[in-house]
Amino acid sequence: MAAIETLELRKRFGDDILALDGVDLRVDEGEIFGFLGPNGAGKSTTINVLLDFVRPTSGSATVLGMDAQEESQEIRRRTGVLPEGYQVYGRLTGRQHVQFVIDSKEVDDDPDALLERVGIPEAADRKAGGYSKGMKQRLTLAMALVGEPELLILDEPSTGLDPAGAREIREIVREEAERGATIFFSSHIMEQVEAVCDRVGILRAGELVAVDSIDGLRDAAGDGATMRVELAEVTDDAIAIVESVSGVTEVRRRDGGLTVSVGNGSKTRVLSALEDAGHEVTDFRTEETSLEEIFMSYTEGSR
Amino acid sequence: MSTLAVAKKDFQDALRSKALWGLSIIFILLSLLIAYAFTEFTAMMEVEEQTAQGLAYFLASQIGLFVSITAIVIAYKAIAGERESGSIKILLSLPHTRRDVLLGKVLGRSATLAVPTLIGLVAGAALGSVLMGEFAIVSLSALLVMSLVFVVTYISIMVGISALTGSTSRASMLTIGFFLVFEILWGVVSIGIVWLTNGLSLPTEFPNWVYLVNQVPPSAAFTTGLTALMPGDIAGVGTPEFEAFYATPWVGVIMLAFWLVVPLAIGYRQFSKADL
Repeated sequence: MAAIETLELRKRFGDDILALDGVDLRVDEGEIFGFLGPNGAGKSTTINVLLDFVRPTSGSATVLGMDAQEESQEIRRRTGVLPEGYQVYGRLTGRQHVQFVIDSKEVDDDPDALLERVGIPEAADRKAGGYSKGMKQRLTLAMALVGEPELLILDEPSTGLDPAGAREIREIVREEAERGATIFFSSHIMEQVEAVCDRVGILRAGELVAVDSIDGLRDAAGDGATMRVELAEVTDDAIAIVESVSGVTEVRRRDGGLTVSVGNGSKTRVLSALEDAGHEVTDFRTEETSLEEIFMSYTEGSR
Repeated sequence: MSTLAVAKKDFQDALRSKALWGLSIIFILLSLLIAYAFTEFTAMMEVEEQTAQGLAYFLASQIGLFVSITAIVIAYKAIAGERESGSIKILLSLPHTRRDVLLGKVLGRSATLAVPTLIGLVAGAALGSVLMGEFAIVSLSALLVMSLVFVVTYISIMVGISALTGSTSRASMLTIGFFLVFEILWGVVSIGIVWLTNGLSLPTEFPNWVYLVNQVPPSAAFTTGLTALMPGDIAGVGTPEFEAFYATPWVGVIMLAFWLVVPLAIGYRQFSKADL
């Protein structure tokens, strides 16, 4: 079953802002799905539709098999949310926040255990108004974890956190996935999703431009990798041989070796072609196209 | 259950507001002062019927202002403020419907305002009763019950108005505008209505139905409604001196019921279809 499914989802704000332009998205049960896109691409609008904060202009959305508008309350009972652009209640303590979620979901969790898990046990009795941005983020994550939800929707969870904090969040995301939860998490930074996500969807200007695994995205991004081959002796013949291998797009001679732009499947073919022709390969390494570049190619390029 | 969870959180939150405590202390002191002044004044003027019931009316007359102003202070941001800051996203990512949120806000903030109001009234009534050596249990109970209804009604109006908008500055303009029109300027409005219906001139004698128009402001409805609950008659207050089916202090109670329900219903209609 799909944990999240949208069909032709369209949302227009006012007359001239088209925030979502026909998004078809499917997130399977039990997977960790990274929802990527630059700021303003429509990630939060999509999430807001899933939670019934905003109503779509057309199209439909289902969450855990239920209609996002008609059965929103039941969806939210079974979902943990870390929203974007939220504010905590400045005059309530951390524990009161978590207790409020426990009361609201009518479950029996221990607020202190949850605050411990997100790393702010010492702040339980302090008013959340005095928390740092990172602590507020951790508090809100603790609130999202209440009641072992079937689905976690995390909108930019790393906001305000240092790298160590971001890593802790990824750790919690993995633990929750092992428990069997589906995790849908959005980010505008590729690095943050690459380490944990099974699949990634990239949103640009209200349209879903790619959905794939990280490896799949790498493949689809074309040029794939740059390969550096060190040869005992660099000859024109060697260059010609490499150029003739299918999948190779460019070969350059540099510092006693070759720099080869090559599609993902063709690396070993380059090496065997050279060796078959009697060239001695002393060393080679590949430099993968960074995910950031792939992301850029989707969100800025002409695709 | 959901409504109660919202109400509890809201009550905890509002209880920590310093503005609320400031106003509450002022009100409690004011009640004590009024009770003292009432007994001193009536004794001085040698009013024969210096009664605890009279004191109840005297106290009631002060409630209108305190409750309306404090209700604005603690409730104008109830929904608009949460929408503006984004805390509504925390509230509504939990399994609450928007109706739960509105009702929970009304309950929570009513409780917040009821605490100082009832403490102030009880303190004033106790002091007055001791000074006069008379304790009018029925009148004072009627005053407490009616005040509680009045508190819930005013909070309900303010929450309803707050639910119309996602901007606190607009919410403050709307709530203060309400207060100005219905509490401060209503006398003028009432005369204006007579003037309009009388062919743009003022009659020598005002028609009876002006009594109804004058019950429109919530605090007027409260005072009138109170006389419906009070035992016996008090000269100068309550029952009008003409014959009509609407010539009864129960009109005040009906008017309060209107204010309790209608603004909140309108606010809910807007809020339930708003994009957050």
